Amino acid sequence: MFEVLFLFREAVLGSALIALGCSVVGVYVVYRRVVFVSAALAQLSSAGVAAALFLASLGLGVGPVESELFMSSLLTLGGVLFFGLEGDSNRVPGDARLGIAYVLAGAGAILLVSRVAGGDAHALLLRGNILGIRSAEAWALLGVVTAVLGVHYLFRKEFVFVSYDPEMAASKGYRVRAWTVLLYLTMGAIIVASIESAGVLLVFSLLVLPAVTGIHLGRTLGSVTAWSAGSAVAAALVGFAVSVELDLPTGPAIVATSGVFLSLAWAVARVVQRK
Amino acid sequence: MTDRSRAAAAPLISFRGAVLGYHGRPILPPLDVEILEGDFLGLVGPNGSGKTTILRAMMGLVNPLEGSVSLNAADRIRFGYVPQRKALDSGWPLRAIDVVMMGLLDRVGILRRPSGEHRQEAARAMEATDILDLAEVSFDALSGGQKQRTLIARALAGRPSVLLLDEPTAGMDFPSTQAILSVLDELHAGGITIVMVTHQLNEVANTTRRVGLLGPEGIHVGPNRDVLTSERLSGLYGVPVNVVELAGDVVILQGGRHDV
Repeated sequence: MFEVLFLFREAVLGSALIALGCSVVGVYVVYRRVVFVSAALAQLSSAGVAAALFLASLGLGVGPVESELFMSSLLTLGGVLFFGLEGDSNRVPGDARLGIAYVLAGAGAILLVSRVAGGDAHALLLRGNILGIRSAEAWALLGVVTAVLGVHYLFRKEFVFVSYDPEMAASKGYRVRAWTVLLYLTMGAIIVASIESAGVLLVFSLLVLPAVTGIHLGRTLGSVTAWSAGSAVAAALVGFAVSVELDLPTGPAIVATSGVFLSLAWAVARVVQRK
Repeated sequence: MTDRSRAAAAPLISFRGAVLGYHGRPILPPLDVEILEGDFLGLVGPNGSGKTTILRAMMGLVNPLEGSVSLNAADRIRFGYVPQRKALDSGWPLRAIDVVMMGLLDRVGILRRPSGEHRQEAARAMEATDILDLAEVSFDALSGGQKQRTLIARALAGRPSVLLLDEPTAGMDFPSTQAILSVLDELHAGGITIVMVTHQLNEVANTTRRVGLLGPEGIHVGPNRDVLTSERLSGLYGVPVNVVELAGDVVILQGGRHDV
């Protein structure tokens, strides 16, 4: 197993970083009950990649529009602002708006990619290409994940306060929407940095499954976050190794491993509860 | 607050022709109310009459569609807000002390960690509501009464001059209710202005010093016995309501089975 991990060390490092970043942000995703915000942002991000591929195939990609990273960032930023700034004034319920963004972004990505020469591009968007992570991508991921974790470390108490009791926070003078946008921006940054390599399925699952694992095993917010991050990184390493050994697609293998960890955590929590 | 002290008390918060509502739609008739320094005001009224909205307007979370809500001596007013408990049934893995600490985070400041002094202050607030021994217990594991006292401690940790409570005794048994009301009484005696939204007419009648009764025509504010009358309550709630005195307490009964 260690030989496999060493052989693909850049891809392994990239997977572990994606898992680490997603799992820390994912704790807020789960506790704030905004799982579908993360799903919609992941889908928007992949639609950005698809748009860049499509424009490039038409020869219309000029400057930043040619860049998959730029287009992915642009659409994700739009989603962050839309979901982060939305108030309660809209007559359409929030989850319906999320659903609309999710399905339209998903359909848009499929339609755009279907016009791009290169066959299974859509499947790649869905499941990613973890093995394709090279040194440059791994370093970029290291930078993004470090920045995101830094923001979460510095503003932890503010993120918790505005997430836990936004009305009380507002009564104390906190600009709740601004803090929410900052929190969503960290989510968007991780998603954009990961989506092309990891795909929608893996990114979304790493935002949810490890956090729920952490909830089963942790008693405080700190320990929940630690269990979430630990189980995510472990799932990335084990899933990666298993996928290479058994010649399975890497992203889904990591998702499945994360699912196994979640089941074990659930079982442990049940046993502890009964004692 | 005695009549004499009320006459001398300065208005802290003034609603002047304030029309409150959401999305441009008023939910209350224009309000003209003053909250006085040292007041203990109960806000009562049917469901959906806008009681919570009035609290939110005091804190500046809802802007009036017309008229004004002004804070007199705004620099001296510090709000302590105690929301409805059900709004916090969240599953977050926070201990009671973590929740109380939120009350003073604005004084800690961004990019700084709470100091030992801040923790001591939170502990003092928990002591004031008699829950210091529950500091390390998960907030979700507390009983309804303990949660409520934790939320009051959180509000106290911010050293408030005005305490705003939204249904602080909803769903509680007699002992828990009594404990909460005793805490509020002590805080009021200590000089804190209190505004409490509730559906519990009997609590208001025997705890607060003044009451604001919200209805379709607006708000009636005054001493409890002047406002909480059988006729007015029956008219407002649309069911027979009797207000009687029993062993020095006011008792409000629904159903008209007991004649005054």
